[in-house]
Amino acid sequence: MLTNAHLKYESQKLGMNYFRVAIVLFGAQLLLGLVAAIQFMYPGFLFEVLDFSVARMVHINALVVWMLYAMIGSVYYMIPDETGEEVVGAGLGKLAFWVLTAAVTVVVLVYIFIQIGSGTEATIWLINEGREYIEAPRWADIGIVVVVLIFYWNVFATFMKGKRTGIMTVMVADLFALAGLYLAGMFFTDNISMDQYWWWWVIHLWVEATWEVFVGALAAYGLIKILGAKREIVEMWLWIEVLMLFGSGILGLGHHYFWIGTPEYWWEIGALFSALEPVPLVAMFVHVLYDWGKEQGHMEANAAEGEKAHAVNNTPAMAWIATNAFGNFLGAGIWGFFHTLPQVNIYTHGTQFTAAHGHLAFFGAYATILIGMMYLGVQGASGIKKMTMTFKTKMALFLIIFGLLGMTVALTIAGYEQVLVERADLGGGWDAYFTAQNLPWMVQAMGWRLAMGVVTFLGFVYLLWDLLTIGKAQAKEA
Amino acid sequence: MEPIISMPVIAPNEFLGIFAVSTMVLVLGVGYAALVTLSKMGYLSRKWIPVSYIFWILQAYSLYDLSVRIHSSPFTFKVLMIAMLAYLFAPHVYFYLVEQAEKRYSQAEEHR
Amino acid sequence: MSKKNASVWTSIRFWRRSAAWVTGTATVLLIWLTFNTMGQISMGSDADLANGVKKRIPAPTVINYHIDYVMDQKRGHEVPVIGQKEPFFGKQWSAEEAAALLHHGKLTSQAKNCMNCHTLLGNGAYYAPDLTKAWLDPRWEDGTMAAITGKNSKEEAMAEFLMHPSQYPTHARMMPNLNITQDEAVALVAFLKHMSSIDTNGFPRNFSQNAKRLEGGTNAH
Ligand code: HEC
Ligand code: HEM
Ligand code: HEM
Ligand SMILES: [Fe+2]
Repeated sequence: MLTNAHLKYESQKLGMNYFRVAIVLFGAQLLLGLVAAIQFMYPGFLFEVLDFSVARMVHINALVVWMLYAMIGSVYYMIPDETGEEVVGAGLGKLAFWVLTAAVTVVVLVYIFIQIGSGTEATIWLINEGREYIEAPRWADIGIVVVVLIFYWNVFATFMKGKRTGIMTVMVADLFALAGLYLAGMFFTDNISMDQYWWWWVIHLWVEATWEVFVGALAAYGLIKILGAKREIVEMWLWIEVLMLFGSGILGLGHHYFWIGTPEYWWEIGALFSALEPVPLVAMFVHVLYDWGKEQGHMEANAAEGEKAHAVNNTPAMAWIATNAFGNFLGAGIWGFFHTLPQVNIYTHGTQFTAAHGHLAFFGAYATILIGMMYLGVQGASGIKKMTMTFKTKMALFLIIFGLLGMTVALTIAGYEQVLVERADLGGGWDAYFTAQNLPWMVQAMGWRLAMGVVTFLGFVYLLWDLLTIGKAQAKEA
Repeated sequence: MEPIISMPVIAPNEFLGIFAVSTMVLVLGVGYAALVTLSKMGYLSRKWIPVSYIFWILQAYSLYDLSVRIHSSPFTFKVLMIAMLAYLFAPHVYFYLVEQAEKRYSQAEEHR
Repeated sequence: MSKKNASVWTSIRFWRRSAAWVTGTATVLLIWLTFNTMGQISMGSDADLANGVKKRIPAPTVINYHIDYVMDQKRGHEVPVIGQKEPFFGKQWSAEEAAALLHHGKLTSQAKNCMNCHTLLGNGAYYAPDLTKAWLDPRWEDGTMAAITGKNSKEEAMAEFLMHPSQYPTHARMMPNLNITQDEAVALVAFLKHMSSIDTNGFPRNFSQNAKRLEGGTNAH
């Protein structure tokens, strides 16, 4: 992971830089998640030193930022492959990378050491904005916009100069929407309903529309690169996926407008369109399996005597991409569908159920494929023809998936109990909340969440170790 | 204006059923799509096609059951059933598309 | 590519266009709905309150009124009901004063990061109780907290609690001291009171049954 030895393009070297920061931030995310999980069980832990709110803020911010880093890294990595060109502004891109990384470091240090400010505009500008996932203070918002503009210019100009593949066309259009949406989260209003209305434009239209399409494009690139799938077919499907994802996801936004002060018509709109959201996820799942089967079949038919046929030239990346196809469906599709109808959501809204879905969906839909992209990067950087799984790869896959599933099951049980006791039976409120929190089901579920979080973290250690060593080890063998 | 969705009170002991049945809807839905695709691709024998329809019937029933459990109004109920009917054709349409695309583009110039 | 009698269903161009149309249509619909919603969720005016005109999000001066949350048989769920005038921190607030107070309160809620422990309107973190209707919570309403904090009114008790939360713990999981000043605390209470007057389509459900239950009644109705 630390070498660029075999990369010809500056664009890909830059991509590797983004991957390196991403993996570090992933580790930080998990550590702070563990702190928050401990506080659920032992509320005295770091009380008034590093409170739950601080731990959680760093946890989810590191999450969003490492994913954006890995996404930018993936795009820089695929640009030369797709367009056949070196990125136009490599120097500027590098500068932007360092500026962004310095800014992220400052923001995190301020989160951890300054934490909160007084109730003035200065706090919003300098310390944090206090809005879940997009807490970054305004100065950093502006910095992010500038850096993203540079990135976007690089992608766009290279695209215009080189080959214009379907995958890159989707990418260029999608990144435009993705970056533009960030602006919806940058203003202040006294009206909390208005605040939440626009906040969801960023969060929902990211994770359930633009990021999903991004993943569709990445998977398409991955299938061609790893399996040698046929470009025309992959691209045709990519467009169908775009159609289905945007067709359901954009108006699916309504499932967040049931109870925030917005009118009742969102019940119907949100229910209808968000219930359709799992459909493209099923299609993506079937598609990945279909291509895998197909290409494996071709290879076996064409293989020379005695040679063991294998279509996949990077099994770790392929394993993570297959996990993505299934995890996306499971976390976003199934766990999302659970609570997306308003009749059910009025009870589950804002319970541990939401947390269960949030974890499995973010992991299944995004963490997996981005890890896959990192393996692709390592393969290219170390000049390995055929990369295969090591013991560490398998341990990482197993422990991380097992840990995440375990956490999700624990949180689902906790959410179920919370829905029954706090919401359906007691009707919510301070007393009802703590009655539900203190029942054994909840307490034990929180224990299991912590235990499974530790398992996840062990998996991360294996992942990091593998990424650092697999390149060198297999380059030597070859 | 009467809202089309009524917001019924759900008793605590009804939730487990609701969550279980909504899982069934999706799992059976994937099962149906996967069985149709895999058997048409030749990875499974053709005998699995009837089984896939059983999946679909069970899925339709689960969705019907879900709509009863969440006390949905007649309108919502009709929408759900129409959606179910549309889903019957989805994997077939899907497979037709892959196959046609395969035929059309396998002649195209070799990929990288 | 040769495309003699190739079906439109396998045409990349066809799917690209369809994707663009569907995305475009969905976006236009969303924007149109957004305009409609913006109209419905912009804050009402002080005159609306005086004239009894119902707004989903009332004016900041709603802090001068008594707020209740009661079952509406026609809508099939609870809705906030704005009643008679009542003093807030011992006085009536003018439209400008109330607006400035709400502004300060909302700003403070973000500066202190309430949302990374609590949920507001059901969104946020799940470490502490939902604050949507905190103003109406039986624990504030029935005098429990006033007694614990030694204050005479609900709003003063709330402000005192927010300034020194870890001095008045009711559970092992405590709210930490967030260096909230007197002014900020008053503003936060105004923010919470205003939020409780928002028409949330019946969320949280059955909340109004709570008070009866805690008084020894049952929540079966
Ligand atoms: C570090 C986490 C944390 C933060 C940040 C936090 N709270 Fe709390 N809050 C709690 C906990 C825990 C309780 C429950 C305390 C108890 O029961 O003893 C609580 C209780 C409350 C209550 C009483 C419960 C109710 O339903 O009425 C109110 C009101 C409240 N907080 C408001 C706020 C406001 C306003 C902010 C932001 C300025 C805030 N809190 C920030 C953790 C937090
Ligand atoms: C990859 C895709 C997805 C990701 C990453 C994701 C992530 C999340 C997260 C993190 C939240 C919690 C937000 C908060 O903090 O308040 C959330 C809420 C929600 N999600 Fe998803 N989600 C995805 C897809 C879906 C899908 C496909 C559906 C529906 C079928 C869905 C339905 C919901 C609903 C209804 C809520 C609101 C929960 C509540 O009321 O508290 N999500 N999602
Ligand atoms: C070591 C493993 C982890 C632990 C112990 C952990 C713990 C936590 C805790 C305690 C919260 C706060 C929940 C609350 O407000 O009640 C949280 C929130 C969250 N975490 Fe994690 N986490 C872990 C890993 C992950 C991973 C791998 C992801 C995604 C890839 C993730 C995504 C999220 C999200 C999206 C939220 C916000 C959820 C919401 O608001 O609904 N976490 N996590
Ligand atoms: Fe959503």
